[in-house]
Amino acid sequence: MRARHPDSEGFVESGGVSIGYELFGDGDVTLLLLPTWTIINTRFWKLQVPYLARHFRVITYDGPGNGRSDRTVDPQSYSLAAQASHAIDVMDETGTEEAVLVSLSMGSMWSLSVAAEHPDRVLGQVFIGPSLPITPPSPARAGIEGAFWVEHVDPQGWEKYNAHYWTTNYQDFSEFFFSQCFPEPHSTKQREDCVGWAMETHAEVLVAEATARGVDHNTVLDLCSRVTSPVLVIHGDDDRISPLSRGRRLAEATAGSLVTVQDGGHIPLARDPVVVNLLIKDFADRLAGRQKAPA
Amino acid sequence: MRAREPDTEGYVEQDGVPIYYEVHGSGQPTLMLVPASPITHSRMWKGLIPDLARRYRVVTIDGRGNGRSGRPTDPESHSRAANVADIISVLDATDTDRAALVAHCHANWWAMEVIAENPGRVSALVAVDPGIPYLGKSQPHWIETGPHWGEIIDDPIGWQLNNRHAITTQHRRWVEFFFGEQLVEPHSTKHYEDAVSWALESTGEILAAGDDGFEIDFPDRETVEAACRDVDVPTLVIHGDLDVCQHVERGKAFAEITGGEFVVIEGGGHLTLARDPVKVNRAITEFVDRIEGKPMRERTWPRGLNRRKRVLYVSSPIGLGHARRDIAIAKELKKLRPDLEIDWLAQDPVTRVLEAEGETIHPASEWLASESAHFASEASGHDLHCFQALRRMDEILVANFMIFQEVMEEGLYDLSLGDEAWDIDHFWHENPELKRGDHVWMTDFVGFLPMPSGGSHEEYLTADYNAEMIEHIARYPRIRDLALFVGSPDDIVPETFGPGLPKIRDWTEEHFQFTGYITGFEPPTDDELAPWRSQLGYREDEKVCVVTVGGSGVGRDLLEKVIAAYPVAKQSMPELRMVVVAGPRIDPAGLPAHDGLEYHGYVHGLYRHLAVCDLAIVQGGLTTTMELAATRTPFLYFPLRNHFEQNYHVRHRLDRYGAGQYMDYAVTDPGAIAAEIIARAGAPVDYLPVESNGAAKAAKMIADLI
Repeated sequence: MRARHPDSEGFVESGGVSIGYELFGDGDVTLLLLPTWTIINTRFWKLQVPYLARHFRVITYDGPGNGRSDRTVDPQSYSLAAQASHAIDVMDETGTEEAVLVSLSMGSMWSLSVAAEHPDRVLGQVFIGPSLPITPPSPARAGIEGAFWVEHVDPQGWEKYNAHYWTTNYQDFSEFFFSQCFPEPHSTKQREDCVGWAMETHAEVLVAEATARGVDHNTVLDLCSRVTSPVLVIHGDDDRISPLSRGRRLAEATAGSLVTVQDGGHIPLARDPVVVNLLIKDFADRLAGRQKAPA
Repeated sequence: MRAREPDTEGYVEQDGVPIYYEVHGSGQPTLMLVPASPITHSRMWKGLIPDLARRYRVVTIDGRGNGRSGRPTDPESHSRAANVADIISVLDATDTDRAALVAHCHANWWAMEVIAENPGRVSALVAVDPGIPYLGKSQPHWIETGPHWGEIIDDPIGWQLNNRHAITTQHRRWVEFFFGEQLVEPHSTKHYEDAVSWALESTGEILAAGDDGFEIDFPDRETVEAACRDVDVPTLVIHGDLDVCQHVERGKAFAEITGGEFVVIEGGGHLTLARDPVKVNRAITEFVDRIEGKPMRERTWPRGLNRRKRVLYVSSPIGLGHARRDIAIAKELKKLRPDLEIDWLAQDPVTRVLEAEGETIHPASEWLASESAHFASEASGHDLHCFQALRRMDEILVANFMIFQEVMEEGLYDLSLGDEAWDIDHFWHENPELKRGDHVWMTDFVGFLPMPSGGSHEEYLTADYNAEMIEHIARYPRIRDLALFVGSPDDIVPETFGPGLPKIRDWTEEHFQFTGYITGFEPPTDDELAPWRSQLGYREDEKVCVVTVGGSGVGRDLLEKVIAAYPVAKQSMPELRMVVVAGPRIDPAGLPAHDGLEYHGYVHGLYRHLAVCDLAIVQGGLTTTMELAATRTPFLYFPLRNHFEQNYHVRHRLDRYGAGQYMDYAVTDPGAIAAEIIARAGAPVDYLPVESNGAAKAAKMIADLI
C-alpha cells in the first residue's frame, strides 16, 4: 500500500507524449519533484512525498518512458528541450506559477534548464546526486566512454552500460547499475525497488533516451550562470554514478550550499530518507520565508 | 561579569537627552533590541545578546529614563514620538540602513511607528509579549486601576500601587510588587532581583512620567488596528500564556492582524526572554534565518552506521581543579574504548593543561565566555561568595550553553560528559527537547548550602535552587543517563537540601553512582619520596613549609597573614624554610623579605613539592587539599570566607579522611599560624588512605553507555 495517495492526478499532452502527474497536499509553496533517468519512475520519491506533502503542495510526474507516461521510442521526446517542456507543461496544467524544483541525478539537467529559461517560475532548486558533465566521470565509467554502441564479448562491470547489452540483458544490467547506485551496506530493498521500476519499461526506451543526450560542459555552466534563485546540493561522497566533484562544482557555479552525505551513494533520498526529507523541508521553509518578506 | 562586552558603544543626543547604545557582533542582518523603558534597560537582553551577536549584528538601546541614557522627568519627553525618534537616531548613529526589531512589551508600540514612518528600514519585527493598545484583552487590574491613576490613594495595596502618586512616592514598593506578579514561574529569584534592580536605577517620578507620556496623542482603536494591518514586514510574536502584564490574547491578536507567527510559552509570564532564554534565542534565530533566506552552511552528514564514536568532554573551567581528574578519566576511557574520539569544550586555564596533554580542543571553545574570569572578578580579599557568584554567572551560563548545544548538534556526539558543567545540566532540564546523545553528569558535591552571613534570605535562596534541581531530576530522569559522584557516600554532608526537602545524603545515594575520589595522579611511594625531596633541593635537616594559593589573584590576603607568621615560627623552629608560591597573578615584589623565605611565581609540578614538604598551607579548595591527603602531607587549610563548598563540603570530606587542620581565616592571627606550623611541620599523620582507582571506575561506568 502506498503511504500516501495523490489528492488528484491527471495527464498532460506534452510534445505529443502523454505525461502522467500526481498532486499531493495543499501547502502555500509548491515542490515539483522531477523525474530522473527513465530507467525508474516517479515512485522513487515514495519516501519523500508523504512527509513533504504535509508541509507543501507536492507535484510528481513521470517523464516519457516509464510510470504512467508513454513508452515513446522517439529520441526527440527525451531531448533536453523536451524534458524542460514536460516540466513546464505539468506546472501549467496544475496551475503552478512557481515552485521549488527537486531533482535526482539526470533530472538536474532539466531543472537547470527550467531555472535558466523561466527564472520567474523557480523559487529555488534542490539537486540530489546531480549527474552533469561538469567534472570528469569516475575512472570506472571513463573507461567505457565512446563504447556505448560497440558490442562487447562477455561484458563486465561498466561495460554493461551498452546499447547491445541492454537489449539482450536488460535485467542483468539493471541489477548491476543499481548495485552501483547503492554502495551502502544493507541496501537490498532499495536495489530491488529500483530494479522493479526498471522492469516497468524496456531497453528500446533507454536506447532512445540515450540517443538524445549530448549536452556539453559549457552549456551546463552557462545554464548555471543564469540561475538566480537559491540552490541546495545533496551529494554522497561514495557516489559511483556521478562523483561528488560534480555536486561541488554545481554548488560553486550556482552559489549554492552543499551537504555531503559521508559514505552515501548516488540515491541518498532512498537510502537516507530522513536526512534528505529534513534538508528539503528546511530549504523550502527558508524560501517560503523569503517569499513572505515585503515586496 | 558580563558574558559579552560590546564591540562599540556610544551616545546620541536627542532633544537634549543622551541616549546610550551598544553594538555587538558584525553578522547579517542587524537586530535592534528595544526594551520597555523606563522600567528597565538594555541589560534585560543579557540572556540573548551573546548568542544573537555570534550570528548577527546586534544593536541595543537604553530607552530614555533608565540605564546609561538621560533621565528626563516631564511626560512630554516620554511621548511615543520621542521614543521613536531615539530608535531612529540610534539606527542612524550606528549606520544601520535596515534592521529587524526585537521589542518587549510596550516597546512594540514604538516599533510599529518606526516601521510605519520608515518604509524599508525595518526588515522584520519580533514582538515579545507585545503591548499594543486595544488588541485582544487587557488585564483586569489595568482596567480597574487606570481611572484612579491621578488620585491620591491612602495606603494603596497590590495593583492600587499603579497610580501616579504611589509610583512616585513608593517606587520600590511598586517595582517589587510589579515584578513579583510578573515572574509567575517558580524558581525565579535571580530574574526577580535583576528586574527590580534595573528598575531601581531609575526613579518613580520618571516611571510615572513614562506612563503619562504614553498617553500623549493616544490613538483610538480604529487607528491602532489600521496601523497593525499596515505592518508590512514579517512578524514573530513570542508570548507567555500566563503574562499578567500583557494578556496572551493581545499577542495572539497582534500575530493574527499582522499575519505573523505566534509562539506561546506555556506556563511563561511576562519575562520569558529572561526566564526561558534558550527557547527565545532559538525562536528568534530560527525566524530570522528563515525570513532572511539565509543559506544553509555547507556541511557533511555522516551516515549513522559509519560514524566513529565521539564524546564531548566539558570540563568545568572554574579553577584548574577538575582538569587533572578529567584527563585521568579520559585516558582510562580510551583504554577501554580505543576507537573513541574525545573532543574537549573547555576554557582557559583548563585548555592549557589539555594542550600539554595533547588532547583535542574543539575550536568552538574560543567562543566561550570565561567562567574562570567571572569567579576571579567575584572574589575579594580572602572571600568568595561562590553561591552568589554562580547566580550572577547566569548570562555566561546561557551564552555557553548555546555554544555547547550547537557543538553537540553539529558534531553528532554520542555522549557528553560534563564535570560540573552547570549550564548543560540546568538548561537541558529546562529545555529537555534539546538533549542530544547520552549525558554523564559529574560532581564532587551535591547541595547548595547557605552561609551564616546571608541570613534567612540565603537559606531561602539555596533551598529554592536545590528544590529546582530536585524537581528537574524527578521530572526528567532521562537527562542524566549517568550521574557520578566523585567520592563516597560518607563524603556527603549530613545536611538537608532545605526546609521540607530531603536529606542530601539520602537523595544523592538514590540518584548517583559513586566513583571514590579521583586525584588524577599516582601518589609517590615511600621509596620515591626521599629522591624527590633531594631533587627539588630540600634538605633532610630542614623543615620545608610550602604556601600556595592557586592560580588566581584571590590569595594575597592569606599569603600576607602566613608570611607574617614566619618570623615568629622561625624563632622557635630555626630549621624552618618557607616556600611561597604566589602564582602568576600576585607580584611577590610587594611582599616582605626574610631569611629562609622564598617566593616563586609558577612552579612546574607543584604536586611534587606538596608531596615531599613537611607542611603545606593552602586555601580550602578540594583538589589541592585532597592531593595533600593522598600524599599524606601535614597541612593547614583556610577555606575562603563565604565559600559554602570549601567551608562545608570540602571540610566534611577532609574530616572523614582525618586530613589537614581547618583554620578560620577571620579569627586566626599570625601568632596562631606560627603555633600550628611549629606543632605540625614534619609531624606524623594518620589520614585514611585516598582511593587510587576512581578514574578507572568512572571510565568503566561511562564506557558501558557507549
